[in-house]
Amino acid sequence: MINEKRLAAHEALDLHEIINFKTLGLAKSKLMQGLVFDQELRQLMEKDVQQTQQAIAQLQAVYAESPFEAPVPEFRPTPILN
Amino acid sequence: MNVQQDGPIKMDALDPANALNMPEMADMTFAMDFLMRAKEGVRNIAVALTETVSPQARALLREQLRQGIALHQEITELMVRKKWFHPYELQEQFKLDVLSLTNTLEISKQKLFADDTSRKGMFDRTPDEHMGGSEA
Repeated sequence: MINEKRLAAHEALDLHEIINFKTLGLAKSKLMQGLVFDQELRQLMEKDVQQTQQAIAQLQAVYAESPFEAPVPEFRPTPILN
Repeated sequence: MNVQQDGPIKMDALDPANALNMPEMADMTFAMDFLMRAKEGVRNIAVALTETVSPQARALLREQLRQGIALHQEITELMVRKKWFHPYELQEQFKLDVLSLTNTLEISKQKLFADDTSRKGMFDRTPDEHMGGSEA
């Protein structure tokens, strides 16, 4: 085995799904705090934000061992607007 | 003088009548979304865990699964306490379901945003781009 440290393809794909799910959840839990009225609910969302930030950082570290890992550009490669 | 209304109030984004009970309705919706996300997260992570072999990834996912289950429980308890969720009184839950679907359907029929939301030309360059970095 040359790449024992590398993740298997199916593992990396599952990480891809979990990371995207967590990223979207992080955005929602963060942004919805500006809309929520109930302060207890807001605190619970903030707890989710804190936990998810950590979870994403840990997942990202493992994702770096993905077989399709690549250098990340500073910006999105192609502009969306003309 | 007859002040009786001849039909149900028509939804209008500017009608202050719609502000009545709005915070409760909104919070109930946000909490429901939060609960569904927590639930989905638990399922997603469980599925990913059964696809994983690397011990490092397994340990990480197992810990996040545990965290997700705990969060799901906290949200459920909060919603039950606030009476936004009735897992036992199903008739109460039925009322909430229909109330929130009716409200959301009405909101979805309103025109909320401008016709063109592309905001072209607002984000494609910085205001100082024509100047050198030192002048900006």
